Amino acid sequence: MEASGNPLVRRGVIWYLMTTSLVLILMMAFGVIMLLNQGNLINITPEWFYKIMTAHGIGMVGVAALGGTAIMWYFLSKYLKINPVIFLINFTCSIIGVILILIAIFAYDFSDAWTFLYPLPFQSTKAYGVLGALLFLFGVLILGVGYLIMYFYLAGRLIKEYGGLGKSLGWDYIFRGKKGYGPPPAVVATTMVIITNSTAIIAGAIVIIGSILNIINPAITMDPMLAKHLTYAFGHIFCNATIYMAVIAVYEVLAKYTSRPWKSNKAFLIAWNASTLFTLMIYTHHLLMDFAVPTWMLIIGQVFSYANGLPVMVVTAYGALMIVYRSGIKWDFASSLLFLSMFGWVAGAIPAIIDATIVVNHVMHNTKWVPGHFHTYMGMGVIAMILGFMYYFNKTEGSMKHSRIDTFSISLFFTFFVGIVGSFLYAGSISVPRRWAEHMPEWVLSDQVGALSGVFVVLATILMTIRFFACLKNVERPS
Amino acid sequence: MYQTIALFLTVFFEFLLALAFAFVYGESKRKAEYAPIQEKGYKIRTYWFFGLIGVMGIATVLTLDELPYHGSHAEATTTAETKVVDVVGIQYNWEMSEESFKVGDKVEFVVTAKDVTHGFGLYTEDLELVAQTQAMPEYKNSVYFTFTEPGTYKILCLEYCSIGHHVMVKEITVQP
Repeated sequence: MEASGNPLVRRGVIWYLMTTSLVLILMMAFGVIMLLNQGNLINITPEWFYKIMTAHGIGMVGVAALGGTAIMWYFLSKYLKINPVIFLINFTCSIIGVILILIAIFAYDFSDAWTFLYPLPFQSTKAYGVLGALLFLFGVLILGVGYLIMYFYLAGRLIKEYGGLGKSLGWDYIFRGKKGYGPPPAVVATTMVIITNSTAIIAGAIVIIGSILNIINPAITMDPMLAKHLTYAFGHIFCNATIYMAVIAVYEVLAKYTSRPWKSNKAFLIAWNASTLFTLMIYTHHLLMDFAVPTWMLIIGQVFSYANGLPVMVVTAYGALMIVYRSGIKWDFASSLLFLSMFGWVAGAIPAIIDATIVVNHVMHNTKWVPGHFHTYMGMGVIAMILGFMYYFNKTEGSMKHSRIDTFSISLFFTFFVGIVGSFLYAGSISVPRRWAEHMPEWVLSDQVGALSGVFVVLATILMTIRFFACLKNVERPS
Repeated sequence: MYQTIALFLTVFFEFLLALAFAFVYGESKRKAEYAPIQEKGYKIRTYWFFGLIGVMGIATVLTLDELPYHGSHAEATTTAETKVVDVVGIQYNWEMSEESFKVGDKVEFVVTAKDVTHGFGLYTEDLELVAQTQAMPEYKNSVYFTFTEPGTYKILCLEYCSIGHHVMVKEITVQP
């Protein structure tokens, strides 16, 4: 296996992955606490429930983004000379942001959820004071600035290397008939993420700054509908971008394990261009129950949410199946998790697409169906990609070898993750609302199944993390 | 009805997906040249692509006909008999201009909010969600529902609105 040439990149990846794995366990524990409370197995106050919910939401998005960034940077640095200092600046901004967010939540009682729909942060300051809301909003802003710096830097490097972002997205091959293969998948995916997530972060920054100004001076207001558009353009695209960063590991690792190249042919490039466009367009499926939004915009939300499933179903997941089929692949922690992650991604896309159907959304929006589908593609998709990469990194840069305990922890993780998402989807199908601290007696059974499953998923993740940390000592450290 | 369809479709498609992954996993230990696999795989992919387009196209045609929005649904259902009920969400209560109905009543709930965004979710006595819309400050959303069963219905808040979100419940009665 080929090791990374730059010791600073290696060190940076270690920091990213250590932070990702530890915060992941803490956030998973928060998730289990919420389910235990909804299932009447423990009793915490609503104030604490919603604080934990806020931390869980922003923390998990942060974890997925950190892990995805580590994957993107690690593989991109094999194709492009990139300055690892930028990688570490983003890490520093993330850590500062996380600290501010944790202080906001646990010291100043901020509990407005990570989607903080305007004007809720201002309204909450009447009860809890302005400091919590301001710390949270500044924390998210600093976190976003770190990513924006990184994306702008990478955009500059790609433009210099390939002659433009269009070229690194393969437009020469799609529109100008250039023969052969386009840029490496890692480059194509990075370009897509730069375009979509920079847009998302700018949208988020506008609504965050607007909210901050509104808190400081309530005379400064925003249109709530515009704010909602900006919030979901930010939240939806940012979450999606974590998948598109992390999936680079699937392209790289499965190709290496099967000794079959995963090259960017025309279909691959068209799929990634379509994903770029669709990801920017489909956040409106979060506003399907905002009847004041123009109907054509909501129909776009439905139709293009369907279409957004095509690139993954027809190209990426299908490609993973094709590359593995009769390849004689050696199954270990990395290859198993990355293969299963493709199942998780598509398995989550199915209920997501169904929920994007307006008539279905009318009776399922903001029920537990929603966390049901996003826990599937985030937990069994993105997190599985990150965990698989953690093993791959240790194996490539160190001397980690697959053991029986890894087979056990992977089985435990996936089996009980099915329990979590199954309980959520079932709860959604019986109309259980999401984000409720206390549940009616008719609903608690699904919460209890989810909580029990969650305990085993946490155990599996702890086992994987212990293995990761134990093997890190064999990773060559920079002198 | 849609909830049940959604659940069964999800289980069905995910089962097929699991079968596909299990099949490929089962075949992964054998080794064969990749070029013929690619050639055949790309042919199958073309059918797979158009198959998905077909399924999504049919679903689009079937479902875009019954949209719950004011633009289409409202004009089709609003008649002189439609009761117009003003609904205002405010932390953590629903203020309504009318709270008692009869079976057969067609109701237009005109929903807004005074403070922050809430979610107006209409639940039957069996706790089945039958209609919803967002309750937003500065905006009015009309959602239509015809009561066909008597009982005590509930309005639950479906958009997180701070620490009393889960107690924002109102009961309305529908007489036979």
